[in-house]
Amino acid sequence: MGLLSLLRRIRGTQAKELRILLLGLDNAGKTTLLKSLASEDISHITPTQGFNIKTVQSAGFHLNVWDIGGQRKIRPYWKNYFENTDILIYVIDSADRKRLEETGEELTELLEEEKLSGVPVMVFANKQDLVTAAPACDIAEGLNLHQIRDREWHIQACSAQTGEGVKHGIDWLIKACSKKK
Amino acid sequence: MKLKRFLLRYYPPGIILEYEQGGTVKTKSIDLLDLKPETDVDSVVDEITRKEPLITTSKTDQVRKLIVRLQEKLCHVEDRYFYLFKVLRAHILPLTNVAFNKSGSSFITGSYDRTCKVWDTASGEELHTLEGHRNVVYAIAFNNPFGDKIATGSFDKTCKLWSAETGKCYHTYRGHTAEIVCLSFNPQSTVIATGSMDTTAKLWDVQTGTELNSLSGHSAEIISLSFNSTGALLITGSFDHTVAVWDTRSGQKVHTLIGHKAEISSAQFNWDCSLIATGSMDKTCKIWDTDSGRCIGTLRGHEDEVLDVAFDYTGQHLLTASADGTARCYNSVTHNIISKFVGHEGEISKICFNPQGTKVLTASSDKTARIWDPETGECKQVFEGHSDEIFSCTFNYEGNTIITGSKDNTCRIWR
Repeated sequence: MGLLSLLRRIRGTQAKELRILLLGLDNAGKTTLLKSLASEDISHITPTQGFNIKTVQSAGFHLNVWDIGGQRKIRPYWKNYFENTDILIYVIDSADRKRLEETGEELTELLEEEKLSGVPVMVFANKQDLVTAAPACDIAEGLNLHQIRDREWHIQACSAQTGEGVKHGIDWLIKACSKKK
Repeated sequence: MKLKRFLLRYYPPGIILEYEQGGTVKTKSIDLLDLKPETDVDSVVDEITRKEPLITTSKTDQVRKLIVRLQEKLCHVEDRYFYLFKVLRAHILPLTNVAFNKSGSSFITGSYDRTCKVWDTASGEELHTLEGHRNVVYAIAFNNPFGDKIATGSFDKTCKLWSAETGKCYHTYRGHTAEIVCLSFNPQSTVIATGSMDTTAKLWDVQTGTELNSLSGHSAEIISLSFNSTGALLITGSFDHTVAVWDTRSGQKVHTLIGHKAEISSAQFNWDCSLIATGSMDKTCKIWDTDSGRCIGTLRGHEDEVLDVAFDYTGQHLLTASADGTARCYNSVTHNIISKFVGHEGEISKICFNPQGTKVLTASSDKTARIWDPETGECKQVFEGHSDEIFSCTFNYEGNTIITGSKDNTCRIWR
């Protein structure tokens, strides 16, 4: 990809190109989701130290998806990537009930960011293939998603591992963007 | 005019004359770009004496000695193998660019973690962390040959000037309305030029911290810029498919180089600045005449975008690196291809010569950097070890140390 293509991606001037920011705690499954979107092999995925970017084509749109590492020490740098974001995808490990509060706090902070104001948010309740996973409605409740008034939002149960639910989520976000643009 | 002393320049070969005129000390350089180990010394001395009034007959012996020294240096081509010297866990996020100071004693790294770090090459110790930017530090430069200052350009839209010795920030240059992605000091180190995604380039005063000029005319992002050797001209390469040549004093555009059919990726002068080479997403490299602004050659052959171009120090060879995973070396005068570099398993995003012009270094998304023989195209060495793609690579002036900067957050010293 190289530094030059990074610059071409931050431009985002092409008409039907969407810049999508993929955030969430470490081990939420962001990179797996990204790779499954791009139909790539998901068997060897390691914690993301920086970021990954992929362009995925869907319904005539070029989705420029930025997957940013979620470890605590690099979360302060999420800000680097806010500019010109069309959609925020927030990924949650539905089986990690211990950190539901932590992930909720991070999401609340994101929704308060000025550069992300009005940006539609799509929450993926990931890892639904695990038996211990909380259902999407419980997570929506836990995160107080119903109180979001300043933007469109949606929660989608999914498994990045099996691919289930991912397509539905993408359909929603393309619809949300078509309305906006 | 009174000659004060001689200074020797190895790469490219040349003799710098320091002289006094009207009470001020000035310099001028005698470029010996064609000098070879086998060149007849007497004829070179004769020619210099004939053309250069500062060289009187009493000085010819000294000049002869200097030329012999240069020839000895040229003879001394070592076929060195580079070993991994140190892995620096330099940053907590991916690196962007890397750069050496002139002597190679220290180097700098820019990063997505919003810092620029200054490193001691010999020990691998961190000397300073330049903190203050609020977003990615993308473009970095030493004010070579002096090396006492560092400029950083950031996605936070500002440029900062720092002391290389203390790490103190002298100035923050504000005015761009989008990310700064390229910058350079002029050769005198009195002006910094910055290029931005806001489609303008700006010139800033090193001493006072003020804006000197804003160069507007491009209709898309500026992603590459370079001063000529006198600092009178600046070229800017843009995603609008053109390159502009600017008069830095007036801020007026001198030429617009029109011909590429897609975004420019890189724009470079050759040593004497008579030629400009441009790489483009249209898969070609073009060579332009600086004075007239006319295109004098188009180098075709790559099957995908040309991502970087580089001249050697004498300006006789030109390199192209492409997204097709190959690189090429051309004769910049005849435009004939000299060699092809085939072997990388991903796109090549950076390419450069060593200062001696005897080795070519490439950095690729296949996580390796490689050294090639420019004459034969043979791969001499593969640098393996980075766990993600390599964004930047560079030689020091002596040509005996290499730095690679990677998306894996580390940088590696090879020597």
